[in-house]
Amino acid sequence: MRPSSIVFWVVFTISGTWLQSVLPGVDFLAPGFILAMQEEKWTVPVWLGLIWLFIQEGTGSLAFGTGLLWYGVLAGLYFFGHWLFEARNFLFMFILGLCLGTMHFLLINVMVVLQDWTIPLQRLMMESVLQTLIFPIEWGLIYLIHQHLPVNNHAA
Amino acid sequence: MPQRIAIGLLIGLFLYLGLFTWNIRTGYVDTLASHTGLEFARWMLAPGKWVHVQATSFLNRYLYFVGIRQENDLLRQELDAAKVELSNLREDATEVERLRRLLSISPPQEWTRQGARVVSQRLGPNAALETLLIDKGSASGVNINTPVVVPAGVVGRVLRLSPNAATVLLVTDSNSHIPVVSQTNRTQGILKGLGPDHDLTMQYVPQGAPVEEGEILVTSGLADIFPKGLPVAKVTKIGRSGSSLFQVIDAAPLFAPRQLEEVALLFRGPVAASRNAAAGAAPAADAAGPAAVGPIVKPAKGHAKTGQPAPSGVSPAPAPAPAPAATTAHPASPAAGIGPGAPAGPHQDVPEGTDVKRHRKSIRTAPR
Repeated sequence: MRPSSIVFWVVFTISGTWLQSVLPGVDFLAPGFILAMQEEKWTVPVWLGLIWLFIQEGTGSLAFGTGLLWYGVLAGLYFFGHWLFEARNFLFMFILGLCLGTMHFLLINVMVVLQDWTIPLQRLMMESVLQTLIFPIEWGLIYLIHQHLPVNNHAA
Repeated sequence: MPQRIAIGLLIGLFLYLGLFTWNIRTGYVDTLASHTGLEFARWMLAPGKWVHVQATSFLNRYLYFVGIRQENDLLRQELDAAKVELSNLREDATEVERLRRLLSISPPQEWTRQGARVVSQRLGPNAALETLLIDKGSASGVNINTPVVVPAGVVGRVLRLSPNAATVLLVTDSNSHIPVVSQTNRTQGILKGLGPDHDLTMQYVPQGAPVEEGEILVTSGLADIFPKGLPVAKVTKIGRSGSSLFQVIDAAPLFAPRQLEEVALLFRGPVAASRNAAAGAAPAADAAGPAAVGPIVKPAKGHAKTGQPAPSGVSPAPAPAPAPAATTAHPASPAAGIGPGAPAGPHQDVPEGTDVKRHRKSIRTAPR
């Protein structure tokens, strides 16, 4: 992995965590997971996904399992989706964002019911809409930045 | 190919359900996630939060001089009123001590407090509940269900923790249930949150039970989580609904969740204090300001603990422990202050480790 990529993913992770504290309920790391699957070796998204999984599970208030399902379904959607769509198409990303928004609403609802809790549905709905809108935009931004990362000349 | 995918999905689902149910029973993976993810977020967010607080306080201190003179006059007036009230309360306190000795009632358990900074509000996509992230964790002696307060009243209790961070469930969350009693009329009920930007509701108060608008609701100490007598909310509206056997009582929380910057954690006196000392929890009195450890109850013992002269008063706490969260939006009514107000702890002692075992059911504070 190039040093510039390492710096990119570290900065991305810290920025994502900060943005999540500003706008709770929205996953700012998910677009990075898709970008890592598109642009990096398969080991990179696995490691990043594992780290982000523990960040999301640790900072959340639900029992462990929500993040696992969240990133698992996201990876599945990407794999099945890129057979049908061009993987770097903005429309595909928008559809992924729509799926994530819907999944956020359903998944949190199911987990909350499983733990015998109640949450305000209006807030959950708003978070889902934000997730839908933010996902493709953020992916577009980080895709552009990633494309302009300096190339490591010493790489094999 | 589709057959292999289906088999793979089935195996994945089976593994996931196995992990989920195993974790619900044991909590091991939750602990791992807290010790890694929560800790990471705390160390990532805390420096930025510190810079933000410093910048804000600099602006407030040096740039916004407008109204300082008037505010100073107002504070002097409030101080005079507080001095009179303090004097009266000291008299009452000595009387309570005398009567307690006379009646041979064992004194309430001692509680100490430790300050903590709020690092973040709800955090991440899985933050389904109304929570805060604070910068103190198990290394500072914090446990699941440790009460969290500000001078104005109860904020909530610890929901999950890592060595240096903890998530606090707010009383405003709809899954928070706290047994309370009205301060004047001593009417009992369960105080339930109704979510963000909503008042709380006091449940299971029979028709005809005396409760007044404006009355402060304090913890009853029945759940064995909060000390008895901590102010939680103020009654704003009393009504009845149809054929219900119970009154409909709305109450406003005594703090503004989004404006919290510091909070105080309450520990069962000597146990937590010694653990803190062992854990090197000296940062409690560090530059973070409000983190000084000081007893909040039992005037006589409290003074002995802090080494202060005991003027037989009820208010030993303020000296070593500047009240955290002074920026809280709702000023506490004098009767509701936590610092000098001296809540008294429940007598039952919960064995160490019980809290951890209760982790799975920790959301439900009180019997539903």
